[in-house]
Amino acid sequence: MTAHDALSALLGDRFTTAQAHRAAHAQSETHVTGGLPDAVAYPETTAEVADLMRICAAHRLPVIGWGAGTSLEGHALALHGGVTVDFTRMDRVLDIRAEDMLVRVQPGITREALNRDLRATGLFFPVDPGANASLGGMAATRASGTTAVRYGTMRDAVLGLEVVLADGTVIRTGSAAPKSAAGYDLTALFVGSEGTLGLITELTLRLHGQPEAVSAAVCGFATMAQTVDCVIETIQSGLPMARIEFLDPAAVAACNAYSGQTLAETPLLLVEFHGTPASVAEQAARFGEIAQSHGSTGFRWAEQPEDRSALWKMRHAAYPACLAARPGATAIVTDVCVPISQLAQAVEETRADIAASGIPGPILGHVGDGNFHAILLIDPHSPEDRATAKALAARMATRALRLGGTVTGEHGIGIGKLGYMAQEHGAAWPVMGALKTALDPLNLLNPGKLVPPHDA
Amino acid sequence: MTHTEPSAGVQAAIDGLAARFGSRLSRAEAVRAQHGAVESWLPQALPDAVLFLQSTEEVAEAVALCHRHGAPVIPFGAGSSIEGQVLAPRGGISFDLSGMDKVLAVNAEDMDCNVQCGVIHQNLNEHLRATGLFFPVDLGAHATLGGMASTRASGTTTVRYGSMRELVLGLTVVMPDGQVIRTGGRARKSAAGYDLTHLFVGAEGTLGIITEVTLRLFGRPEASRSILCAFEDLPSATTCVVAALQSGLGLNRIELADTLQMQAINAHGGVALPERPTLWVELTGSAPAVAHDAALFVELAQGSGALHVEAADNHEAANRLWRLRHNALYATRALRPGIKGISTDVCVPISRLPDCIAEIRAEIDKTDLIAPLIGHAGDGNFHLVLMFDPDDAQETAVARQINARLIAIALAMGGTATGEHGVGLGKMGYMQAEHGAALDVMRQIKRALDPSGIMNPGKIFTL
Ligand SMILES: Cc1cc2nc3c(=O)[nH]c(=O)nc-3n(C[C@H](O)[C@H](O)[C@H](O)COP(=O)(O)OP(=O)(O)OC[C@H]3O[C@@H](n4cnc5c(N)ncnc54)[C@H](O)[C@@H]3O)c2cc1C
Ligand SMILES: Cc1cc2nc3c(=O)[nH]c(=O)nc-3n(C[C@H](O)[C@H](O)[C@H](O)COP(=O)(O)OP(=O)(O)OC[C@H]3O[C@@H](n4cnc5c(N)ncnc54)[C@H](O)[C@@H]3O)c2cc1C
Repeated sequence: MTAHDALSALLGDRFTTAQAHRAAHAQSETHVTGGLPDAVAYPETTAEVADLMRICAAHRLPVIGWGAGTSLEGHALALHGGVTVDFTRMDRVLDIRAEDMLVRVQPGITREALNRDLRATGLFFPVDPGANASLGGMAATRASGTTAVRYGTMRDAVLGLEVVLADGTVIRTGSAAPKSAAGYDLTALFVGSEGTLGLITELTLRLHGQPEAVSAAVCGFATMAQTVDCVIETIQSGLPMARIEFLDPAAVAACNAYSGQTLAETPLLLVEFHGTPASVAEQAARFGEIAQSHGSTGFRWAEQPEDRSALWKMRHAAYPACLAARPGATAIVTDVCVPISQLAQAVEETRADIAASGIPGPILGHVGDGNFHAILLIDPHSPEDRATAKALAARMATRALRLGGTVTGEHGIGIGKLGYMAQEHGAAWPVMGALKTALDPLNLLNPGKLVPPHDA
Repeated sequence: MTHTEPSAGVQAAIDGLAARFGSRLSRAEAVRAQHGAVESWLPQALPDAVLFLQSTEEVAEAVALCHRHGAPVIPFGAGSSIEGQVLAPRGGISFDLSGMDKVLAVNAEDMDCNVQCGVIHQNLNEHLRATGLFFPVDLGAHATLGGMASTRASGTTTVRYGSMRELVLGLTVVMPDGQVIRTGGRARKSAAGYDLTHLFVGAEGTLGIITEVTLRLFGRPEASRSILCAFEDLPSATTCVVAALQSGLGLNRIELADTLQMQAINAHGGVALPERPTLWVELTGSAPAVAHDAALFVELAQGSGALHVEAADNHEAANRLWRLRHNALYATRALRPGIKGISTDVCVPISRLPDCIAEIRAEIDKTDLIAPLIGHAGDGNFHLVLMFDPDDAQETAVARQINARLIAIALAMGGTATGEHGVGLGKMGYMQAEHGAALDVMRQIKRALDPSGIMNPGKIFTL
């Protein structure tokens, strides 16, 4: 039987080679393009994924996981053809264990759908990337969001996984216990592996109690250095910030224009506090004092839920807002992360570099983690723009490494950042290659990503 | 002590290492015994030699040499692990890393530090005193940060700050062929490739030798409040734990002891606490937050049926309360002087904690075993010290049976055989049941990174 027949027999019309389906899975959100799968599969169960994997292994067909397709570095593009496994039909919540503050989900569920399902439990799932990504994709990219400063990233949020390996074997990693010292941390190995080691078919996630009280604020600063000093002191003082986000003047301008806000176009912090009414009030007051001592201006509370949600809606819409700042533009989104003491320098050098380049590049970031993005806006038809932006991005990456950081805080490697892996990891990169070869000897899982190329 | 001669490969490695490191390679029986007859209920197994190392470069050179001769290498921190992790059942060279005890960098602004693997956690905190920062994993033994990373250790504050898993940012590792790699980094997060850091954390020295550890640090909390409360029964105590966890209180510690443990503590410490299931709780944060949380916790405890609540009014009183908790092991040992025991270490989802304890207690009650319970209730992790006389075959068999039974109960509840002590030799037999097909993935990883199989061979799983 051909692979096509076997997969059709397995999945019926949920296996398709129709051009429209293939093309829909050959797109990415950004500048990274190319890579058309031969077929797309829409499995509904782990058993189907395992059978699919066995068939593809027998026929040496590449298999590429696909969650919501929102990754920014071309992660889910089929560089060598094969079957793209779209998990959108595996989108159920399997088990909510409120007492243990855990939930077991299928990988295709999106973070917004998950939080809708959790609403009545008094619990929530905190990782909130700007897109409505799938939990499987978020685990596979080790995603984070605005609340990582308080609740951590997907690394912290995933307690266990079910994974289909390259030969179709199904394994479970981790457990439902809050901690374990039982052997290698396979969960952490699959989190962030971008679909190159196995397909995630189930996740056990840590939840948190919905805060009784929430308050948020914005404030501006005259300089980047003041802004960062304020962040450092806030974190050092042990204030349990739920969010602490940064926008540079260009990003503020873009958001103002897009979301109808009227914020002062200076370096800006958006902060949020979670706790009891009393603790939130106290945290807010203390933050206010710290901010003031660093020369904050235009301090504004968003006490009402509507004001708060307007503020965060604006932050979450920052990416389209930046894109809209240059009509017709496409973006190269950078994602460096540095130790926080190096953040002011990293941002200021980047700012100056962007200004000199002539390309618009608003900067925003999860400053509590030392992570920031320059949204480099290029004319997709201009090779010069692209070259300039790529050179800027490369200098940002090198700068981040020089300052003790990483080329990607949360977006991952995909195709776009593969070129920096050797520089960032040195001799550790081939160790990743050795792991890949051990777990996927035929190089079928998302080939061409993350590890050193086979012929290198 | 029986002594078998080293294999030819090991002998060749010993000769090479002696030539290079001189008297820092020891074959003395006493030194070998210190490294192979350690705190453990398992039979001793001495290495053929012990090598005392000072730097990453030395470790790399020595590993490369052992690699050439196929000689087993057993990393050794403080030797406080309790599942036979540092024993040398296949002989080989114990690499004593305790001399690598320098704090290399403290970055107060970034709240991180970089230390050599042999730094003892208590010494790190001593070193940090002036900075206002601290490292939170506070386990009872003198242990090295390299050893703690390698066993994925935790402590009483794990409920707040996490275990070594959450606190290690990066590592320098000497691979089994002597190559030096750097994993992770100083950025708070990264999505750049496989998480090698977490592959080595918890690997018990089977994949390489950690020579430097980059750790997260925390600011000392402004205020703290300690409370002890006793409950009618265990389910009331664990109900209180769940309520406290869910209410988002600033819990820094929440520890549980059972009636027998409390009797032991009273007898050993000369105190008269209620002999009932007891929680020790510490809340930390800003002064107003702590005051608020403490009041709320007392309400929760009373709502869960606490019979006795005692809040420490000052630092002294709090220290007294916690000293009793930290001396629990000695109190236990005093129950049956001269007898040690197996410390069990299962960890289950919190909601299953009462059932897990009740089920095993029922089984223990059918035997004559003395087995007090103490645990990190906030993590669902508890220890029963199963006290038995290793010279008494019958008692030994019963203790082992109870241990096995407890692990089976915990696994059936979605838990793990070991919350913090690790696998070593002692828990190896339970790994198939816990991991199923995933155990083969661990084997594949081991073969890929250590093809000649020299790094702490025969631990966690057999190949
Ligand atoms: C506007 C915008 C804002 C964003 N903001 C953030 C942000 O704040 N933080 C952040 O971290 N990211 C952000 N992202 C990036 C993106 O949302 C994340 O990378 C997200 O985690 C991708 O999830 P996905 O479901 O879309 O995965 P996809 O893009 O479908 O796939 C991502 C990778 O995971 C693999 N994969 C998917 N599902 C599985 C599975 N079940 N098993 C194994 N592998 C699988 C794919 O093969 C691919 O390699 C943003 C993107 C956009 C467009
Ligand atoms: C009284 C007492 C109380 C304890 N309380 C706790 C507790 O509360 N929580 C807890 O988690 N544990 C506890 N333990 C267990 C023990 O202290 C921990 O397992 C500790 O992490 C071991 O550290 P160590 O430096 O002694 O390591 P060792 O025992 O020397 O080694 C442990 C393992 O790590 C490997 N190793 C050591 N150093 C390195 C390195 N640099 N690179 C690679 N591998 C290495 C060894 O080969 C071995 O496999 C306790 C033990 C005792 C005796």
